[in-house]
Amino acid sequence: MAHVRPRADLWDELLDSDGTPRPCAAALLAQLATLEHAELQQRQDLAEIDIVTMGITFTVYSDGRGIDRAWPFDIIPRIIAASEWRQIERGLVQRLQAINMFIDDLYHEQQIVADGVFPAELLGDSVNFRPECRGVDPKFGVWAHVCGSDLVRDSDGTMYVLEDNLRVPSGVSYMLENRAISKRVFADLFAKQSILPVDSYTDELNRMLASIAPDDVDEPVIAVLTPGIYNSAYFEHSFLAQRMGAALVEGADLVVGDDDCVYMRTLGGRERVHVIYRRVDDLFLDPEVFRPDSVLGVAGLMRAWRAGKVAIANAPGSGVADDKVVYAWIPDIIRYYTGADAILPNVPTYRCFDPDERDFVCSHIDELVVKPANESGGAGILIGDRATRSEMDAHIALVESNPRNWVAQPILSLSTVPTLCDGVIDARHVDLRPFILSGGSCSVTAGGLTRVALRQGSLIVNSSQGGGSKDTWIVETR
Amino acid sequence: MILLSRVADSLYWGARYLERAEDTARVIRSYTDLVIDMPTTAVSSWEPLLAVAGERTTYDELHEGTSETDIVRFLVSETSNPGSVASSIATARENLRTTREVLPRDVWQAVNDLSLYTVANVASGVDRRNRARFLNRVIADCQRIDGAMSTLMSRDDAYELWQLGRSIERADMTARVVGVRAATLVASEASVSSRTSEIYDDVQWMGLLRSVNALQMYQRATRGPIEASRVVDFLLRDPIFPRSVAACVASIRRSLDVLPRSELTRPVVDELEGVLSSIPIGSGSPRGHDGTVLDEAMDRVLLGLAEIGRVVDASLFHPES
Repeated sequence: MAHVRPRADLWDELLDSDGTPRPCAAALLAQLATLEHAELQQRQDLAEIDIVTMGITFTVYSDGRGIDRAWPFDIIPRIIAASEWRQIERGLVQRLQAINMFIDDLYHEQQIVADGVFPAELLGDSVNFRPECRGVDPKFGVWAHVCGSDLVRDSDGTMYVLEDNLRVPSGVSYMLENRAISKRVFADLFAKQSILPVDSYTDELNRMLASIAPDDVDEPVIAVLTPGIYNSAYFEHSFLAQRMGAALVEGADLVVGDDDCVYMRTLGGRERVHVIYRRVDDLFLDPEVFRPDSVLGVAGLMRAWRAGKVAIANAPGSGVADDKVVYAWIPDIIRYYTGADAILPNVPTYRCFDPDERDFVCSHIDELVVKPANESGGAGILIGDRATRSEMDAHIALVESNPRNWVAQPILSLSTVPTLCDGVIDARHVDLRPFILSGGSCSVTAGGLTRVALRQGSLIVNSSQGGGSKDTWIVETR
Repeated sequence: MILLSRVADSLYWGARYLERAEDTARVIRSYTDLVIDMPTTAVSSWEPLLAVAGERTTYDELHEGTSETDIVRFLVSETSNPGSVASSIATARENLRTTREVLPRDVWQAVNDLSLYTVANVASGVDRRNRARFLNRVIADCQRIDGAMSTLMSRDDAYELWQLGRSIERADMTARVVGVRAATLVASEASVSSRTSEIYDDVQWMGLLRSVNALQMYQRATRGPIEASRVVDFLLRDPIFPRSVAACVASIRRSLDVLPRSELTRPVVDELEGVLSSIPIGSGSPRGHDGTVLDEAMDRVLLGLAEIGRVVDASLFHPES
């Protein structure tokens, strides 16, 4: 089946600007060329049946009820050459190491503030800085143990880090399931070329979590803390617990004893937990310290954590480095702590905090994406070339009234990957979320979760808003 | 292996609802076969099915008539009936969905398959033409799930709770079948007697055995004709037929013995075994029973099973409250 020629002004991950397959994608495209359209559609249909029977779902809210939806998947993979990937991997590790040094510093001496590299005012304003975490010493000085960084590629081929998700990043289970399905769809290609495996992730997660257990524990008991079955990522929580042989607990399953240790209520009585991989936001973790109305957390959990009786991943307070204003400082943070320049570039970011940069943003707002610091899921974002004049003026007023809360970036044109859409192969925009683990040592998934905007021209890749996903192949080329 | 109390609870109820779906499917399947075999005058009512399912009250609140379609739809597809095949499967899935991390992956996939099949086909499964196909698939899928459990699952507490849930529900259904159908049959045999009615009596007793898939094993065990007292005795007390009440109670005992706090659960099992062994079953003569006595005895068995359920809930799942 013939593929559609990519648009000249966009970067396609599989095809160069002449429509010639990139070397890493040659084998795949040669096979696609031999498949009749009906055969390709049949493979897509079979993959969708697999997804339904394997129960790979995500939950969406509708009418106050959580509804289980089949995970959207496109069979044509996104491919990256292993040689390029190794460089990205180094960049991601460097980034997370610097971020962890930054968080640890913020909760101790705040040397980076004293040295004038990071502005004290920003720290004072951060809604994710938790004074309750000051002076705590998590093992290895690591706070953010699991990071999901979103990468996008611009039209010139540069891969940028768009954001770092340090609170409760999700999606890794879908990366693993996408691979399981993709192996069935393109079994022969997996046999013929070297595609880096992703399956060891849960093992590495398990090992990382064990590495941060309190020092006096030989065989740590690990639990995954979920907000419960109505959470949109419940499938993933259950999946990870299952793959690690860990208990999947809700707040009500845990209790903190008078000895400050955390226990699970089990059939055989109380059982101590040494490491909690929590998928519950900071503010819901412990009603004694944070939101008193939280029923998702465990009373006394912060007490147990501060006493070193339990490790929590990610550590409470690590979200301080996960905000769009801090993001703008990440290149400086990397330089400050590691003495080296960032291997992976940030998207150029204007800090409205700085008067000159603010003036630039306000006068060029039609060419920029303007983002608030602490909203997620696209809330409060203005995309300049799609906004009306009055929307732009309204945003300028918002920026002027609280400049510290705003950043702006040039409008990127995300790269595309050929995708099966209503019977034809057409280019669709993608991003990529690799997952980085940090404990006793660091590791990065081979690839990550590729999300694809299924609507033509759309840049929205979220599965709750019409986004789909693809398997990501890291291919060794000779 | 560590098992959370909440997960233990869901697993146990998931197993119970799945068994309930399977057993209800068997009972409807065999009753439909029976009705097809009988002359139009002999079985005019589908109401015994409601009594066996223990849902008479719920049914009367929702329905006026007692036609075959109304009753079968109520038992197979109606979501307002929590014990219908469709509701039981949906509840089983919801419970087991929160236990995925302790179940073998194949088990969850089989549960999911069954649930998808049911949602897609239950509406057409009420009609007589498609009924057998639908019910057979439900039963086969339940068997597949049980098979995956038995060949893939370590014999830990989670497994024992699964067995416990299935055994309690299975005993419950066999006791209901005996209490409703056998008691009625015994009563009618005592009142009428003729050559023709005897033939149809045999068909009825065979149908009763079939409703818990016991006919073949009964025939192998007794190597003789169908006799009312032997049928009742077989269904209640046969030690090796896995769907007899006694075999289920023995399985309940085995599971509870290895689960925690057996000192609290053992006495209620002892009590139920006492009830079971003291039921008078007429000797020899097929017409020697008193239907009322049997009916009342089954009520005591059902109460005993409910008491086991209550003690399990209090001592295993909510020990701290």
